[in-house]
Amino acid sequence: MFEKLYKSSGLIFPALATIAALAVSGSLDAYLAFVATSWIIFGLLGLSLDVIWGRGGLLSLAQTAFYGLGGYFGAVVAINMAPTYGMSLVWALPCSALFGALIAAALGYVIFYARMGALQSTILSYTLTLLLWSVTQTFKLDVGAATIGGDNGLSGIPGFVLGFGEEAKKLKPNAAFALVVCISAAVYFVTYWLMRSNFGKIVDCIRIDIQKTELLGYDIRKVQVLNFAYSGAVAGIAGALFALWANYLNPSIFSVQEALLVPIYVLVGGLGTLAGPFLGALIIGGLSFWLGGGAAGGQTTLILGTVLILLVLFLQNGVLGALGSLWRRFMPDPNNAARLTGAVQIDTEVLEDILVEAEKTAGPAKNLSTDEAFKRFGGVIPVNKVSRDFTPGEPHSLIGPNGAGKSSFLKTCVGLYRPEGGTISLGDEDITKAPVFARVRSGMGMKNQKPQVFGEKTVRENLWIAAYARTKDSAKSDAISAQILGMLGLGAQSGVQASALSHGQQQWLDIGMVLCLAPRVVLLDEPAAGMTNEETRELSVLVRTLAKHTTVVVVEHDMEFVRTLEGHVTVLHQGKLFAEGDIKTLRANDAVLDIYLGRGEHV
Amino acid sequence: MEPDFLATVLLSSLSSASILLIATLGLAVVYGLMGVINLAHGEFLMVGAYSALTATQIGLPFLLAIPFAVFMTMLIGAVVELLIIRRLYGRIFDTMLATWGLGMVFNQTAVLLFGTVSPGIGMPQWNFRIGDFSLAVYPLTMIVVAALLLAFVYVLMTKTVYGMKARASIQEPQMAQAIGIDSARVNTLTFAIGCGLAGFAGAILLPIIPATPSMGLFFAVKGFLTVVVAGPVALTGTALTALGLGGGASVTASFMTSVIGDVFFFFVTALLLWLYPLGISSKWRRKL
Repeated sequence: MFEKLYKSSGLIFPALATIAALAVSGSLDAYLAFVATSWIIFGLLGLSLDVIWGRGGLLSLAQTAFYGLGGYFGAVVAINMAPTYGMSLVWALPCSALFGALIAAALGYVIFYARMGALQSTILSYTLTLLLWSVTQTFKLDVGAATIGGDNGLSGIPGFVLGFGEEAKKLKPNAAFALVVCISAAVYFVTYWLMRSNFGKIVDCIRIDIQKTELLGYDIRKVQVLNFAYSGAVAGIAGALFALWANYLNPSIFSVQEALLVPIYVLVGGLGTLAGPFLGALIIGGLSFWLGGGAAGGQTTLILGTVLILLVLFLQNGVLGALGSLWRRFMPDPNNAARLTGAVQIDTEVLEDILVEAEKTAGPAKNLSTDEAFKRFGGVIPVNKVSRDFTPGEPHSLIGPNGAGKSSFLKTCVGLYRPEGGTISLGDEDITKAPVFARVRSGMGMKNQKPQVFGEKTVRENLWIAAYARTKDSAKSDAISAQILGMLGLGAQSGVQASALSHGQQQWLDIGMVLCLAPRVVLLDEPAAGMTNEETRELSVLVRTLAKHTTVVVVEHDMEFVRTLEGHVTVLHQGKLFAEGDIKTLRANDAVLDIYLGRGEHV
Repeated sequence: MEPDFLATVLLSSLSSASILLIATLGLAVVYGLMGVINLAHGEFLMVGAYSALTATQIGLPFLLAIPFAVFMTMLIGAVVELLIIRRLYGRIFDTMLATWGLGMVFNQTAVLLFGTVSPGIGMPQWNFRIGDFSLAVYPLTMIVVAALLLAFVYVLMTKTVYGMKARASIQEPQMAQAIGIDSARVNTLTFAIGCGLAGFAGAILLPIIPATPSMGLFFAVKGFLTVVVAGPVALTGTALTALGLGGGASVTASFMTSVIGDVFFFFVTALLLWLYPLGISSKWRRKL
């Protein structure tokens, strides 16, 4: 009961708050109702930032730009339509949402497809707001009945008009308050649903580990742009409501002070909580209201600036974040199960079943070939014209001393590094220029050197999100993740957060996620690191079974492990192919011993 | 196009670029050596301007008012580092938000103390003629000042013990601590120097840009963009970017309007970030 309430707290408490707000809306003092309406609107604006920052991981300082542009656009439409047709909302809201979404998508396209760094992204979003601020000061335009007058602003915006026709009257403050509460609640619940949907799960994964998400085959940049566009739409709706509420807009909507307020709302309420920004706006708005002077009062900036500093220093998770962690203390710790594990034992029969089934759905194993693949970083050339064919049937091991270019070679194959020369093909397909996710979709599966798991998510969710990347079907993903979970023997830990697992278990989970993709070519970078001797033996069984059905390339330092694989071994040295054969011949090869032990002329 | 006009435009654009560089250098030092974006940088510039203004009002000559402004801003900068920045190491966005809040506090405090308008101090009224065009000398001297300042920071970072320690602390923080560098103290000094450079900028630019509480905003914004576009190689990258962006915007502004100059600045910023998503110097091999 207690836990169920916690799990649906994002639904129940906001619903209660909406009902409470509607209940008091009739009896509020008209002026307070008028001011409180603006708090709700600011909360909605905060929600738009929470979607892209708390969930998407990008601190966007352009939310007020979408808000302002949406407001202006919606207002111009409303001014022209409302006098004849009434119903200002029907015109303003969709137009603003669409306009906000378009601008956000355009900005997001630049940010995400250029693969900007986090800081560069934030600064670029800030640039947009500042650009608008300077341009709108002198921007003058007449659109029908609306006059955008530079720093004189845009006036004559109709209020909230619900009825149709010329006779329709604008709502009184209390009714307008109730209306804004309803609209905001609707947007909140849609957002809540969206963030819990499969789309929201992918957004979460991108925030936690963007590279891993792409290695699962998700088109991350598209998801990011869509998420940003949604956030822009929410901001646009908030802008339209603000325009109708204030009946007037001017360039100060793009000002630095205005932009500053949005992260404050989110931080006060709690980053990533979705409901937090409303609470934050209510607290800040209420505070300035009762301190006197209202939101525009003289010392408000002084107080807000101080509040922001104190928040960042002392209450990083905001009010809701703090309440949430307090609540979790009274619930059983789901991560307890992490301690109850023994060594992982692979169930080879289940594994065979999985692989046969994968072959049915994903097609036969593919060859991976590189032809003169070449990658350089400044003066270092980690992959120097490597030509190699990898075929199914037996495992391929890549060995070589530290810095030989083994990991770089795998990363070039999967597309994490873009080669400067040569070609890479998967089956008959030339994938040299394909993005990472496209290669994964054509059948590549890669596990990096460091285990990459989504730490905040449970073991089952980790496997599920990997399976969903391929199947795009919830029911199938449930089945596949359950199957892999059983194969790994991690059933008891299915509810444990991945970050609570040991290093070796995270390796297994990562390998399990790769298997969920039913890859036709599997690249494993040091899978045995951090595993016990028993686990390494299990891993060897797994790799050999895997190699019967797919092409497997393993980078490994553990020579004993490489020996047990009984496969083909390639030695890399200084980015070049150095020797190949089976492990016995290589062990007798003096040149190979030279480079490993650092003697002789090959060093 | 008349050659006189062209020369005038070139000189005045070079001078605007130099002014941008002077205003930005402190930000670049703090970002390059601490990985911290100080969003209150513009307000430190404003503090420097007001310090110099107050000093001249009580009778100090302008040349002495500049060191006073540097001292004041360094002092405040050190206190800010100890109280706020230090607690937020490694949390770049939290640092940005905290310094943003700090900027607001400084701004509002300045409004309370000095009001929104304040008297400028007269610019030395020397002019300089190229054909039919006349140019004020003081802004042109900023070209020399920028070059000297750049050289000063370069020497400070490469030839002094402090500079070595500071660069060691940012390149290999743990190694630096392991060989006994007190990186916390080095960082306090770095932040103070960054703020001092802002103060210097505010003071030396006072004859050109009068002190107002919101004066920092103008430079701060362009400064952040310059530093972020420049990327990890703080000093050389920033000098180059300031020259390109600031100079380009100024040239654009002289042929068209100042709004178009601003638009040019922001637009080229976006373009450069598109081409170099981690900053133009992200693949350079030099470190300063």
